[in-house]
Amino acid sequence: MRSPIRIVFEQRNETPKYLSTLVPLISVIAALVAGALFLLATGYSPIDTYTNMLSDGFASSRGITDTLGLSTVLICTGISAAFAFQMNLYNIGGEGQLYLGMIGGAWAGLALGDRLPSFVMIPTVLLLGALAGALWILIPAYVRSRLGTSEIVTTLLLTYVAASLVDHFVYTPGSFFVTKNSAFPQGRLVPDSASLTAFGNTSLYPTFFLVVLVTLTLFWLVKRTEYGYRIQVIADSPRAAHYAGINANRTTLSVMLISGALSGLGGAVLIVGPFGRLDPGITMLGYGYAGIVIAALARNNFSAVIVSGILFAGLRSGGDKLQISTDTPIHIGVMLQGAILLFALGGEAFRRYRIHAVRTERTAQ
Amino acid sequence: MTNTSHEVAKGPHHESGAAPSALSAHSIVKRFPGVLANDSVDFDVLPGEVHTLLGENGAGKSTLAAMLCGLYQPDSGYITRNGERIALSSPRAGLQHGIAMVHQHFRLVERFTVAENVILGSRDLSFRLNRSELEDRVSAVAESFGLPIEPGATVGDLSVGQRQRVEIVKALYQGAEILLLDEPTAVLVPAEVEKLFENVHAMTQAGKSIVFISHKLGEVVEISDRVTVLRNGRVTGHVSGRGTTDTRELARLMVGRDIELTTQRASHATGHEVLQIRDLSLNVGGVSVLSDISFNVHAGEMVGIAGVAGNGQKELAETIAGLTSPTSGSIAITGSMSTDRGPIHARELGLAYVPEDRLGMGLVPSMSILDNLLLTRDRNFVVDRASVEPEAVRLIEQFEIKANGPEHIARKLSGGNAQKVLLARELSGGRSATKLLVVCSPTRGLDVGAIETVRALLNDARSAGQAILLISEDLDEVMSLSDRILVLYRGSIVHETPGESAQLATVGAAMAGLSTEGNA
Ligand SMILES: Nc1ncnc2c1ncn2[C@@H]1O[C@H](COP(=O)(O)OP(=O)(O)O)[C@@H](O)[C@H]1O
Ligand SMILES: [Mg+2]
Repeated sequence: MRSPIRIVFEQRNETPKYLSTLVPLISVIAALVAGALFLLATGYSPIDTYTNMLSDGFASSRGITDTLGLSTVLICTGISAAFAFQMNLYNIGGEGQLYLGMIGGAWAGLALGDRLPSFVMIPTVLLLGALAGALWILIPAYVRSRLGTSEIVTTLLLTYVAASLVDHFVYTPGSFFVTKNSAFPQGRLVPDSASLTAFGNTSLYPTFFLVVLVTLTLFWLVKRTEYGYRIQVIADSPRAAHYAGINANRTTLSVMLISGALSGLGGAVLIVGPFGRLDPGITMLGYGYAGIVIAALARNNFSAVIVSGILFAGLRSGGDKLQISTDTPIHIGVMLQGAILLFALGGEAFRRYRIHAVRTERTAQ
Repeated sequence: MTNTSHEVAKGPHHESGAAPSALSAHSIVKRFPGVLANDSVDFDVLPGEVHTLLGENGAGKSTLAAMLCGLYQPDSGYITRNGERIALSSPRAGLQHGIAMVHQHFRLVERFTVAENVILGSRDLSFRLNRSELEDRVSAVAESFGLPIEPGATVGDLSVGQRQRVEIVKALYQGAEILLLDEPTAVLVPAEVEKLFENVHAMTQAGKSIVFISHKLGEVVEISDRVTVLRNGRVTGHVSGRGTTDTRELARLMVGRDIELTTQRASHATGHEVLQIRDLSLNVGGVSVLSDISFNVHAGEMVGIAGVAGNGQKELAETIAGLTSPTSGSIAITGSMSTDRGPIHARELGLAYVPEDRLGMGLVPSMSILDNLLLTRDRNFVVDRASVEPEAVRLIEQFEIKANGPEHIARKLSGGNAQKVLLARELSGGRSATKLLVVCSPTRGLDVGAIETVRALLNDARSAGQAILLISEDLDEVMSLSDRILVLYRGSIVHETPGESAQLATVGAAMAGLSTEGNA
């Protein structure tokens, strides 16, 4: 007698260690394969495209420094998302907080002008950017911690407001942020004291190392300190937190504020680095959204965020250059980003479940 | 493994010449991730008999029952009904073969009436329900087995015992010939247990078969025609014949060694008042949950709170532990007010609290034993795990916790070991030396070996002069350990009696709300 075969998802008690590395890796490969199919279908050569992307993204000194330069901001938005994720908070408004970071950073640079030396100006710009990012998440953080309102909706909606704010500051005639009497609206450059110089002839700025340092510090904070201990307790068992007298509301609030500040820092990094001004073009780049994918790929492990941030930056900058070197559409990079997210989330199923096929009725005969 | 067809009729207790068993399981194997829940289990029940499945928690009783009623499918092995092989792909298929299960956790719709719940899932309903006719039919079925129920009552208003009756009536209404009762007495007070046993007799008289599941030896001996003992998923023995059954033998089959549950109260001298509760009341959402509770617990004394679940036990414990603010009244620990001052303050005064929900509240499941020990202690900004590690190692040894070391994750501990970690932490003091220990259902869900250990630990703590408030739904436990027993019923203390002279019947009656007098 033949009996039908059924696919069974059996929950794993424990995820084997190798799967934690294997699943993200396979997700990336699967996304590349999906991208290749797409390229083939639209008449481009996947091999050429990927070779170009690889050499433009990683395998040349120009490529690698561009990638590290771009990864600076992506790591910021990546840890921003990851920091909130670890407490099961979904800050998907990193994009908006990033804009605010730019606004805050640019404002600090312009308002303080040339009066202060660089070693005061740079930290001030970065700090104000972070502060502005934190400010942008204050309301979602407050209502989430007090009333339990979903932060997913509130942070996302505020991103649209933030985008309008950027437009407002750039396109309003006589705005503080733009060059006066200029024929077409453009953000004003911050003074030299608020600008860092890139290494040599590259687009890699010293902020990269700062951001890596910040990431490692957060990693330490979570693993080793009382603050991190609380976060772990609340994330795993709010009732145990209550039992132990840990104030979950306050911790929720602070975690979200830090998450916002990290995205804001990403915006300020662009001010002291490559952009130097409030540029409305930022709203087209999606660096904040990319942070969510980076965090998902890193499985919210902070040190892995650095790796996945760099990987992602490589895909992006390699993809962007395709447009220039070949005629492949720029969207292949963006598409790969989406595909990676999909496969990374899909891969979760393999981490959580053991999947096997069984015959519906097995007997001892 | 090969089974030939002639084995089908050969149940483990087949008596030659008798009718085939109503229902049998043959070499059933069921595996869950990491556990072999049933390992080649044979089991059968005859028409009109009570066959008990006895075993500790986790022995695999519920799993076997779930396969007998079609909720789970065996990995291998098969089931026969009246000697014929059947495939039970779902509980509905089980019902079609006249098999129904009353689960440990009831599956009733609280907002529906009794009659509505009973007919829920029946397929032969006409489109328009005639309420009174329906209720009559339900009543008729219930009464024929001596199960008094009120078909028009809303289930949400019923007591646990009454709800169980509704589940049984529902099974009978659906035409069950074989009833699987999964730990039916766990939720009942003594008087209700007696009533249930009467119903069981009425059902077997009518030719129904009962598979009775329990881990309580006393009642098993009382109700069963035959007993099959399970341990770690395997059948360790069959005992047949009522009255001839020796509980020691059953205990040994169940646990795998001789067992002696301490029932004697450690002798001791009681000291000063450690916990003082005055006129404590608590309203939640306008409903009175605790009303006017006053009592003391002295150093070296164990006070037991008896009561059926849901009569305010959890709220009382949480109020004392500083997790809930009372509506009125006061709590003092070692002479200092702790009302409204939070759990950390209460702990600083010497409180330790073992909540009923070990992994949901007392421990953080994803954290190591070491980190869990830190939960109720003072932690510096940089958490100094290295300096706590030796203590963790020592506690693991002292409390005989089966773990790979301080890094063992709490979630992966067995129930008994998780409880030992919790007790180890709470008894060893954190923010200050433990003077008052509030424990809720400390042995619930544990196997007999662990129960023995946990009770011994509580006795030791009392001998060491700690004041203990034992809140438990297990009446035997409260009766055997407490120096003084208070009965909590609908948020009030309705009965108080010294532990030594306490009468099961009196305390049981008070738990059921039948007596509101003071001292017995
Ligand atoms: N649905 C399930 N998934 C995984 N493990 C289970 C499941 N049900 C039971 N188990 C495991 O199978 C074993 C037997 O459980 P159970 O049949 O509930 O025991 P009992 O009813 O005798 O207390 C236990 O180790 C339990 O953890
Ligand atoms: Mg069970």
